Amino acid sequence: MPSNDKNTVVLQKKPWVLICLSLVIIGLGAFIVGLMGRHPERAWQAYLINFLLWSSIAQGGLLFSVVMHTVKARWSGPLSNLAESFTAFFPISFGLFLILYLGRNDLFPWLHQDLHGKEVWLNIPFLFARDSVGLLILYSLGFLYLYHAFWLKLDRSISSGRIRTFLYKQWDQHIPDAQTCSRRMTVFGILYILAFALILSLIGFDLVMSMDPHWYSTLFGAYTFVKAFYVGLGGLIILASALHLLPEIDFRLKPSNFHDIGKLFFAFCLVWADFFYVQLVVIWYGNIPEETAYVIERTMTPPWNSLAWFIFIICFILPFFILLNKKIKTKPQFMSILCTVVIMGIWLEHLLLIGPALNPHGSALPLGLMDGLIFLGFSGLMALAVTAFLNLFPELLRVTDGEVT
Amino acid sequence: MGTEYRVMGLFTDENRAVSAIEAIKDSPWSLRRVHSPVPSHKISDALDLKKSKIGYFTLAGGITGFFAGFLLAVFTASQWHLIVSGKPIIALVPFFIVGFEFTILFAIFGNVVGLIHQMQLPEFTGLEEYDPRCSGEHFGILAACKADELERLKAFFQNRGGEINIFSKKQEHQ
Amino acid sequence: MSELTFAKIDQTVLDTLKPPDRSYWLTVGILFAGALAGAGCWIYQILNGIGVAGMNNPVAWGTYLINFVFWVGIAHSGTLISAILHLLRAGWRNPIARAAETMTVFAVCIAGLFPFIHLGRVWLVFYMLPIPNQRNLWQNFQSPLMFDVVAISTYLTVSSLFWYTGMLPDLAVVRDRATGIRKKIFTVISLGWTGAHEQWRHYARGYLFFAALATPLVISVHSVVSWDFALAVVPGWHTTIFAPYFVAGAIHSGLAMVLTLMIPIRKLFHYEKIITLEVLESVAKTIIFTGLIVGFAYATEFFMAWYSQNPVEMAIFKYRPTGDYALGFWIMVVCNTIIPLLFFFKRIRTTIFWLFGISIFVNIGMWYERFVIIISSVSRDFIPHAWGLYSPTIIEFGIMLGAFCLFFFFFLLFVKHLPSVSMTEMKETVDQGAGHGD
Repeated sequence: MPSNDKNTVVLQKKPWVLICLSLVIIGLGAFIVGLMGRHPERAWQAYLINFLLWSSIAQGGLLFSVVMHTVKARWSGPLSNLAESFTAFFPISFGLFLILYLGRNDLFPWLHQDLHGKEVWLNIPFLFARDSVGLLILYSLGFLYLYHAFWLKLDRSISSGRIRTFLYKQWDQHIPDAQTCSRRMTVFGILYILAFALILSLIGFDLVMSMDPHWYSTLFGAYTFVKAFYVGLGGLIILASALHLLPEIDFRLKPSNFHDIGKLFFAFCLVWADFFYVQLVVIWYGNIPEETAYVIERTMTPPWNSLAWFIFIICFILPFFILLNKKIKTKPQFMSILCTVVIMGIWLEHLLLIGPALNPHGSALPLGLMDGLIFLGFSGLMALAVTAFLNLFPELLRVTDGEVT
Repeated sequence: MGTEYRVMGLFTDENRAVSAIEAIKDSPWSLRRVHSPVPSHKISDALDLKKSKIGYFTLAGGITGFFAGFLLAVFTASQWHLIVSGKPIIALVPFFIVGFEFTILFAIFGNVVGLIHQMQLPEFTGLEEYDPRCSGEHFGILAACKADELERLKAFFQNRGGEINIFSKKQEHQ
Repeated sequence: MSELTFAKIDQTVLDTLKPPDRSYWLTVGILFAGALAGAGCWIYQILNGIGVAGMNNPVAWGTYLINFVFWVGIAHSGTLISAILHLLRAGWRNPIARAAETMTVFAVCIAGLFPFIHLGRVWLVFYMLPIPNQRNLWQNFQSPLMFDVVAISTYLTVSSLFWYTGMLPDLAVVRDRATGIRKKIFTVISLGWTGAHEQWRHYARGYLFFAALATPLVISVHSVVSWDFALAVVPGWHTTIFAPYFVAGAIHSGLAMVLTLMIPIRKLFHYEKIITLEVLESVAKTIIFTGLIVGFAYATEFFMAWYSQNPVEMAIFKYRPTGDYALGFWIMVVCNTIIPLLFFFKRIRTTIFWLFGISIFVNIGMWYERFVIIISSVSRDFIPHAWGLYSPTIIEFGIMLGAFCLFFFFFLLFVKHLPSVSMTEMKETVDQGAGHGD
C-alpha cells in the first residue's frame, strides 16, 4: 500500500513534529512562568480553561463516530475514522486532569467559603475522586468502542509497532467473529454516549458551575455536553480540511461530505445557542437575585459584558448567517477558519463563565499573552496526539465508498 | 397549418426514460414535459434544470416576519408604559421569542406563496395532456411533432420500451 | 422492502380507501358520541362556570393544562418524523411520515381547544388577539401565555400547510384512480398536479424548506409551552432544564402515540410490507433514546434541588416521590424511563404485542409526568398555609374523554378517506419499480 506508507512518512516528518513540540514547550514555559509570578491563579485559570476546551474537543470528536455508527449513517465513513483519532488525547487529558490537583488551592473559590451544607459535595477529595473515576469510565468506554471498531477496519497486514501487535493478540484471544464484534461495538458505543452525557454534565457542574458555588442552573450539565459536541465537530472539520488540503497527504473528501458535516456543525451551533438562550430567558424572567447575580455580572457589567457580546457574535451570529449558504460549507479552507474562530470563541466563553468567579472585582479582563501561549501549548499537545495516532493507524486515512461499520 | 401531435412515451423504468430524454434532445422533435410519480435526480440532471428560486420567497417572508413580530411586540408594549413584574417595557429577551415565531410563520407563508407562484398551481389545463398512469408507476415523456412524423415518434418511444399515448393539438391557422 | 413495486404500493394504499364496512362506521359513531359527551360537559361548564371543574385555590391549573401539554407533546413527534428525519435522510420515516404528520395536525387542533376550555368565559377569547380596538387595549407580549398564542397558532398553521403540501402528489394519485364524485373532489384538492418536472423541481425545494423551518419550530413551540411553567418562580417549575426536557418528553410521548396508532392500522390495512417491523423497531430505538433523556432530566432536577440547598426546592422534590401525589410520580418514573429500557432487547422491540403495550405505558407515563409537574408544584408552593389538594371532577374527565374521542374520530375519518401512507415517499425508497426494470 504505497499511498499509506506515503502518509505515514509525511506524518512522521520532522518539521511538523518539531513545530508541535515547540508549541508545547512554549506553552509549558508560559505556564511555569505564570505559576512563579505574582498571580499563579491566573496560570491555573488558563490551564483549566484549556483542559476543559481541548478535552471537550476530543470527547465530542469521538462522539461523532459513535453517533454515526449508532444511527447507521452511510455518509460519514472517512470522517468517522478521523474522529476516532481524537481518542489519542484521552490519556493526555486524564493526566492533565490529575495535574489540576496541584492547583487546587488557586482554582476553587469555594474552598474557604461557607457552603451551607454543600460541603458534602464540594470538597477536594470527593470532587477529584468522582471526576477522575468519571473521566476514567468515559475514556475507557471510548477505548473499548475503538477496540471493537478497529477490529472491523484495521489492516492486519501492517504489523509494525508494539501497540498493533498487542492489539492483534488481544483480538485473537477475545473476538470470535465480525457479528459479535459489531454487537459489542454498538453496546460500547451506546455506553459511551450515556457516559458522555453524564460525565460531561458532572465535569460541567464541578469545574465550571461550582466556581460560583451559590449559583446553579439545572441545564448547565447538558449545556456543557452540547458545547463539547459543537467544538468536537469544529475540531473534526479543521482536521478533515487540513488533511484534505495538504497535497502530501493522500486523503480527499467529496464536497458532499463537507456539506454534510458543515450542516451538522450549523445544527449544533443552533443547539448551543438555544441551550444558552433557554437558560438566559428563565433566569431573566424569574428575576430571582440568587440566579440573576451570575448572569448580570457576566452579561451586563463591565469588563465582562463586551466579552459576552463578542462571544455571542462570533459563536452564533457569524456562523449562523455564514452557514446558511450551501457553497461555503463545501470550501474546506473557509470552514477551517470559521471553526477555528468558533473554537476560540468557546475558549473565551469558558473564560466568561469562570473568570468573574476567579477574579472578583476585576476591572479589566484577566486575559493576556500567557493565556494565548498556554492555548498554543495545548493545541500542540492535541496536534501531537492526533498525528501520532494517524501515524500509528494510517488506514484511517483510506477513503473508500460505501463503508459500513 | 396542420395538426401538431403531442405524443407521450410512458416508461416504467427510470433509466430507460432518462436515455429517451437524452435521445430526444438530439432529435428534431421538441421535448415538452416530463412527468414522473416521484422526484428524480437522474431526470432533472438529464433535463439540466436550474435550481428553484423558491428560497427567495421564503427568505423574504422570514425577514418580514422577524421584524413584524418584533414590531408587534414593541408596539403593543409601548402603548401603555406599564411596568409588569419589574421588567423593562421594551424587553428584547422575551420579544425575541415572538419575533422568532413570526419569522417561521411568515417564512412558511413566503414558501407557500413561492410554491403557488412558481409551480403555477392550481392549474387544471395541464390535465388535458396528461396520462393518469404518470402518477402510478410510469415516467411520461411528452414530445411534440408534426402530423407526418407521428409514426416515427411513436416508433422512437416504442423502440425504447415505452408505451404510447397520443394527444392531438390543432395549430391555429395563420 | 425490496419486493415492493410502485404498483404494489399504490394498490395497497388505494385499497384502504375502499368503502368501509359496518364495524368502521360503528366505531366512528361511538367516537363521535364520546366527542359529543365531551362537548356536553363543556357546555355545562360554560353555563355553570369553571367551578364545576376541580381547579380552585391553590391548584388553579389542572387537567386542562395537563391535556394541553399532553396533546402538544404528541404533535411534536409527528413533525420530528416528517420534518427532522427528512433532513437527516432517514429512510425509515417514509412509511409512517404521512400518518405521523396527520397525527400532528389533529393533536394540535385538540391541544388548541384546551386553552378555550380552560377559559371560564370563552366568549372573551378574542382578548388574546391583537385586534385594534377603540380602547387601545393590547396583549402583553412579555407573558408566556401570549408566547403560547403565537407559537401554537404558528404551529397549527405551519403543520397544516406542511401536511397538505406533502399530500399533494398523493392526492393526484387518488384522483387518477378514482371515479365519479371522488374524482371530482380529488381533482380540485390536488390542484391539477401532474408530476411535471417543473412542478417537482419547485416542490422538492419547497418541501425541503418546510422541513428546515418546521424543525426549529418544533423545538421552539414546546420550549414556549415549557416556559408557561419555567418562567414562573414556583418551586419545581423555575428551572432552566425545562425547555429541552419538555421537547424530549414531547417526542417521547409522540413516538409512543405513533406506535399506538400505526400498529392497529398496519394490521387492519395490511400494511405489513410497507410499515415493516424494521420501521417499528426504529421507532422503538428512538423511544429508548428519548426515554433516557427524560430520565437524565429527572435525575438532574433531583440533584440540582439538593445542590441548590434551597429549602423550597428541596421540599418540593421530597414531596413529589413521597407526598399526596406520589402514586403519579412513580407511575411517571416507571412508565417513562424504566419500561422503555425493555426496548434494548431485540425480541421485545420486534414483537408487536410488546411494542403496542409499551407504547401505551409510555403514553400513560407521559400524561402523569405533566400531572406531577403541574399539580404537585402548584399544590405546595411557598406558603404552607396556602397549600391545598386537587382532584379532577367528572366534568373534567368528560372533557378529557371527549378530547381523546375527538382525536381518534378525526384520525379514523382520515385513514379511510385520504391516503394514510405517502405513496410518493414510499416509491422514493423503492428503486425504479423493481421488478419492472432490467
